[in-house]
Amino acid sequence: MKSPMSIGLAAASCLSMLAALFMVFAYVPTEAEQGIVQRIFYFHLPCAWVAFLSFGIVAVAGALYLWLGHKIWDDLSYAAAELGMLFCTLVLVTGSIWAKPIWGVWWTWDSRLTTTFILWLLYGAYLLLRAFADDTDEVARFAAVLGIAGVLDIPIIIVSVRLWRTIHPAVLLTRQGEHGLEDPRMVATLLVSLAAFTVLFVWLLWLRLGTLRLRARLAKLRKDLALLEIAGAHR
Amino acid sequence: MLEGFGPILRKDLRLELRTGESTVALVSLSVLILVVMVLAFGPGGARRAEVAAGALWIALIFAGTMGATRALLAERETGCIRGLLLSPVEPATIYAAKLAVAMIFMAEAGAAVLIVLVLFFNLDFGAALLRLVPVFLLGIAGLAALCTLLATVSGRVRAGAMLLPVMVVPLFAPALIAGSKASAAVLAGASLASVATWLKLLAAFDVLFVAAGYLLFEHVIIED
Amino acid sequence: MADVRLQAQRVSKFFGDRPVLHRVNLAVQAGTAALIIGRNGVGKSTLIKLCCGLVRPSTGQLLLFGCEPRLLPAAQFRRLGVLLHQTLLYPRLTARENLEFYSELLGFPDAAAQAWRWLERVGLQRVAEEPVSALSRGMEQRLGIARAMLADPDLILLDEPFAAMDADGAELVGSLIREALARDASVVLTAHAPLEIAGVELEMFNLESNGLTPFRDEGRRGGLRHLLRRP
Repeated sequence: MKSPMSIGLAAASCLSMLAALFMVFAYVPTEAEQGIVQRIFYFHLPCAWVAFLSFGIVAVAGALYLWLGHKIWDDLSYAAAELGMLFCTLVLVTGSIWAKPIWGVWWTWDSRLTTTFILWLLYGAYLLLRAFADDTDEVARFAAVLGIAGVLDIPIIIVSVRLWRTIHPAVLLTRQGEHGLEDPRMVATLLVSLAAFTVLFVWLLWLRLGTLRLRARLAKLRKDLALLEIAGAHR
Repeated sequence: MLEGFGPILRKDLRLELRTGESTVALVSLSVLILVVMVLAFGPGGARRAEVAAGALWIALIFAGTMGATRALLAERETGCIRGLLLSPVEPATIYAAKLAVAMIFMAEAGAAVLIVLVLFFNLDFGAALLRLVPVFLLGIAGLAALCTLLATVSGRVRAGAMLLPVMVVPLFAPALIAGSKASAAVLAGASLASVATWLKLLAAFDVLFVAAGYLLFEHVIIED
Repeated sequence: MADVRLQAQRVSKFFGDRPVLHRVNLAVQAGTAALIIGRNGVGKSTLIKLCCGLVRPSTGQLLLFGCEPRLLPAAQFRRLGVLLHQTLLYPRLTARENLEFYSELLGFPDAAAQAWRWLERVGLQRVAEEPVSALSRGMEQRLGIARAMLADPDLILLDEPFAAMDADGAELVGSLIREALARDASVVLTAHAPLEIAGVELEMFNLESNGLTPFRDEGRRGGLRHLLRRP
């Protein structure tokens, strides 16, 4: 459990997150228009990045499982889905927290948030499928197909939602995106935060994958035991 | 490559003509959904085109997920899917045939909904209805592709029938946006050229998911 | 070089944690017939499903016509005929429609004639226009076997073909197997207990939870030969 990889990731994660926290709260200047609340952006965007990255991993690992058949790819896919759901939820929550003081509403149907919401629904579908079904190869294959279908869908979702929003200018809500970052200190803070969240994600993924691998090992031991019983019964 | 497509399609249509179960179920469900919406929203005023388009697509999605399930139902009940899998027909061809059957069912449901729409909404559609047809067809192609690929889940997994819409709706979301926007515009009198962007989006969605279904179907249809 | 149509090498199958088949070895050559004997639930049906590629082995290797079933070109499945516990017939289609459908899938240019040929062969021409749901179990089983044999396959897998058969039905199955062997096909069938088919040399195996072994008739185990068929 305490492998060098695990310790290394834990250390890297702690250090980078501490650096990010310092930069977000002490280093970066307060944004002129939005005030202190804008700092949440430095958590909001990295969470979104991780949420999308994670879905990519769900799909690629799923595809590898379909192709190669080894359970470890399915475990990776499942672990990535759980973590992706977590970070995706954080995106939506931080988005709400950000939106309320600035625009007075809990939710804005702006294109990026809507896309993230649909991603959240996709994660939900994946996790519900695995929650309701037994842990068989068949279900793993269904989940892999769902993941692949989802990742293929994401570009189309992005385009369609963007088109959808431009047709309704009455609900104009622009968000301070990365293009609006004038101060280089803001850019630096964002990059450090991105790195910190990515390392955190990798560490958590590693831990979760470890747990699923243990579960797989346990299943294998049970099978071996059953075989021994058979051999014993026929002695 | 598509050998066996014809026989499977004809067999399913023959079964359907003999009992009519799926058609009745789908058409009833679609019309019911539409009636509920009309009662909930009221006969509508200036926004009739939008409400009509929305109603059409909502009815399609829910009837559609059911329709695709029924397209595979004949095989499911008797385990006959194994008969298809043991034959010299490629799984992808089975997918293509089931996709076609699902589209036919969805088209039936859609036609029923449109008829009811004309009666309830009293819109002087005429030419607008004709313009709606390509939008509609592009939409159900994508929906059928998705549903046929994922429909096996509803038979094989606990609470599968509930899971199918949960999976299909977020995946279908972009096509739903494109389809309902284009439908609303067309019903309100716009030309097909003006909604070309949405149509291209629908077409891209269809191509993507028919291809994905074609390639991935064998992974969901085989047993353990 | 003998033509090995079906080969299982140390094939095991688990459903979740539950072992169903354990290190099964089997090789079936052209023109031979194998009988797999086992009690209920020991995994005969699973083994048949493995042999035709519907189910994948958990460990070990299974070769169908020298190839893994997943990799076998679709056209090769014309050489395979299978009867499972389920007859794979559509209950709402008539007997004739069922056979015509499968004949079309198998690529017969005159599917109707081929279907009729087999309907006559299994003696069901009088119920040809009845839906399968209206047929008795024995008739449905005959139709199922006809379905399996439509293309005169090189490898025939029959899961308990004598179940629900009356004496005439059993005689029919026996003669079909004889004909198949005469044209060099391979036949694998399963049963609860050892049996004999006139004019057919059956290689018998015992399927237990710890594997597949050649069957040794221990006469003192009485009662096992009660399903002796008349020649």
